[in-house]
Amino acid sequence: MSDENRRMWSELGLNLRAHDQLLSVLSNAYQDIYLSQQNRPESTSYFDDVMSEIHGQRIQELMREKQQGRKIVGSYCVFVPEEIVQAANATLVGLCSGADFAEEEVEKYLPRNTCSLIKSSLGFKLGRVCPFLEGSDMIVGENTCDGKKKFYETLSDLVPNMYVMDLPQMKSQQGRQMLRSEFYRFLEAMQDLTGFQVDATALRNGIRMVNEKRKAIHRLQSLRTADPAPISGLDALLANQIFLYEDPRRFAREVHKICDELEQRIERGEGVFPANAPRILVSGCPMAVPNWKVPHIVESAGAVIVGEESCVGERGNRNTTEEEGESLEELMEAVVDRYFGIDCAIFTPNPDRTEHILDMAKRYRADGVIHYGLQFCQPYLMESFGVEKSLEDKGIPVLRLETDYSQEDSGQLQTRVEAFLELLK
Amino acid sequence: MQHHYQSLQEIDRIRDHALLHLEQAREQGSKIVGIYCIFAPGELIRAAGCIPVGLCGKKEDPIPEAETVLPANLCPLIKSSYGYAATDTCPYFAQADMVLGESTCDGKIKMFELLNEIKHCRILHLPPTSRTDSGLRYWYREILKLKDFLEDWTGQRISHTAVRREISRSNRIGRTLWEIGGTCQWDHPPLSGSEMMRIFEANSSTPYPESLRYYADRLLQEVASRRRSTNGTASRPRILLTGSPVGSGSDKVLQLLEQLGAQAVALENCTGLKSLYRNIREDCSDPLHALAERYLQTPCPCMTPNANRFNFIRDLVRQFRIQGVVDLSWQSCQPYSVESSTLSRMIRERLNLSYLHLETDYSNSDTEQLRTRLQAFLELIEDNA
Repeated sequence: MSDENRRMWSELGLNLRAHDQLLSVLSNAYQDIYLSQQNRPESTSYFDDVMSEIHGQRIQELMREKQQGRKIVGSYCVFVPEEIVQAANATLVGLCSGADFAEEEVEKYLPRNTCSLIKSSLGFKLGRVCPFLEGSDMIVGENTCDGKKKFYETLSDLVPNMYVMDLPQMKSQQGRQMLRSEFYRFLEAMQDLTGFQVDATALRNGIRMVNEKRKAIHRLQSLRTADPAPISGLDALLANQIFLYEDPRRFAREVHKICDELEQRIERGEGVFPANAPRILVSGCPMAVPNWKVPHIVESAGAVIVGEESCVGERGNRNTTEEEGESLEELMEAVVDRYFGIDCAIFTPNPDRTEHILDMAKRYRADGVIHYGLQFCQPYLMESFGVEKSLEDKGIPVLRLETDYSQEDSGQLQTRVEAFLELLK
Repeated sequence: MQHHYQSLQEIDRIRDHALLHLEQAREQGSKIVGIYCIFAPGELIRAAGCIPVGLCGKKEDPIPEAETVLPANLCPLIKSSYGYAATDTCPYFAQADMVLGESTCDGKIKMFELLNEIKHCRILHLPPTSRTDSGLRYWYREILKLKDFLEDWTGQRISHTAVRREISRSNRIGRTLWEIGGTCQWDHPPLSGSEMMRIFEANSSTPYPESLRYYADRLLQEVASRRRSTNGTASRPRILLTGSPVGSGSDKVLQLLEQLGAQAVALENCTGLKSLYRNIREDCSDPLHALAERYLQTPCPCMTPNANRFNFIRDLVRQFRIQGVVDLSWQSCQPYSVESSTLSRMIRERLNLSYLHLETDYSNSDTEQLRTRLQAFLELIEDNA
């Protein structure tokens, strides 16, 4: 750790001791889970670099951006339109929510029966260990599920710069209208924050930049349809995770390099796992860094994960935003259209998600689907029953898992996953 | 059940006969709309010539059946509601021609997707906030869409006059019930919390609220004529019960409070005073807008932020001279349980009162544990008094 980093963390108000512990846990987990993988594509060393500097170099970059007058906006959800943030001369970063932290403190604010992701978001704040959050000029919450909606009320008492966006729960004209008016309200808020007037050119540039990084990840995803799969699910998940806070230009460039290597691998018929490894699609709740628990169990058991139907995955990054509009209004409509297509389980009914899972299972040639549910996440847990039925009707085996961020149930999960993989053979 | 007030017996009878009356009304051609929530605008349903009726969801019996298709980590109210429908054991559900659901919490919106496979289920979509104009516009359009739907469904036009008539009726009943609730502000509350609960239940199940109002008025006269003079020593702790909905079958906390000698003088929940919180404007040129405005202000934690609930509780604490607040969350009911930490701070720090948060379900497995906790809580209040 450089002194420069420590000085920066201290200026950001981090609890250095707790933060050191966090980084050491993170680095050990990365060693054990990522660096122990066999047969990784060489170009994934990019991920190693990013992860080793997750709270270092990237934060330094963001601080430099701030010095140059840009603003940093933190978010917890893929409904926050990055195009608008970029257009207003600000940078969007995903905030930490992938590990348990300061659990005792968290339980003073939130009931125990809250999903790990929400508890983690608060834990990182209360423990003062998320430099992305502490460095943000604005934190955007969104009224998705009950837990988050209420959690943002709590968080707004703890941070000075909370902004909450409303979301509709239905895919109707009226629902779209609500999203549209909320995106316009957000545009205003962003302009107020940065003092930068967004015009058509600025928004188009924002759209293009975000589209470029989406195209890179789309390319990566499409290469995973190959059999044998050229990259592990763990590495692909990591790409999806750092997608949310890496520098977008560098991300696109580096991921394309990885794709070049993967194409060569596919040409040689070379996979990361043996050709007969069961192919698994994971669907359900998002997995934020360093939540690698279930993919690690699945791939250690000899299967390969070929796709993620998740916010940190294809649900979050699929579809680009139409760039062709002339006026600001036309471009805004395109942004609204793109985000209104996200099939989050807070929508009712939400048949598009099931369609998407079926489509992904087919496209990625999955032998089975693992539905990943976080305990107490009602929207996804409730949908999991219907999803299971729809998939099984099509002859696709499903394993429904319900877990949290602790490691206590790892052994049990491992047994269930292994039994499921047996069934697929 | 024998009562010290004769009109209360009549009210009980109205509640007990609600199903019979519903069947009769249906035979005479009325359509029945089943509802689960006080966001469903009964006035509009009645103006369409239909009858709204609250559906079952307060008992544990059908929960095991519900858990075959719903996660166990779901609030008992939703599991029970779905279970009753799936096992065809709710007689009101059987009478209902359709269900009007509402997008309050995550659990319910997903449950309605499943319920729709059993009976046609139309969802009223709520905005996540009641504080903005755009929230109100969104909700007003939902009300308009519901009106269009009801007109198509019944083949009957809904006139403004009819809506106004129903608003004025419902305001009258609401005011009477509110006055009855208000008698518990007296030093010697004439009615117990359980009695209040039964009166509110009669209101949500009877197809004839006018006859309820008649006896409610009589009840008011009865209690007033027998009002005891104040002796200044109100010895039993005056409790406000808030949180998730409570009703016959899911009233174990209320019963425990009364067994332990406390007076639940104010039931703040949806099944209690919260449903009477609204007095709908009658001077509005567009009565549908008046409905939308008032319903959206319902102090439900599905709204964020939910200042209305905090203000409402603060008012009740003052009016009913509350000494302690019991906040009940059904297990896995996220909106109420997450809001409890904010409520706890307000009650303890700003109002300087005792506060107890309970989380439980419909089973009786924790009754003794709850009893011990409530006992300790009440002793604390008595010590402070």
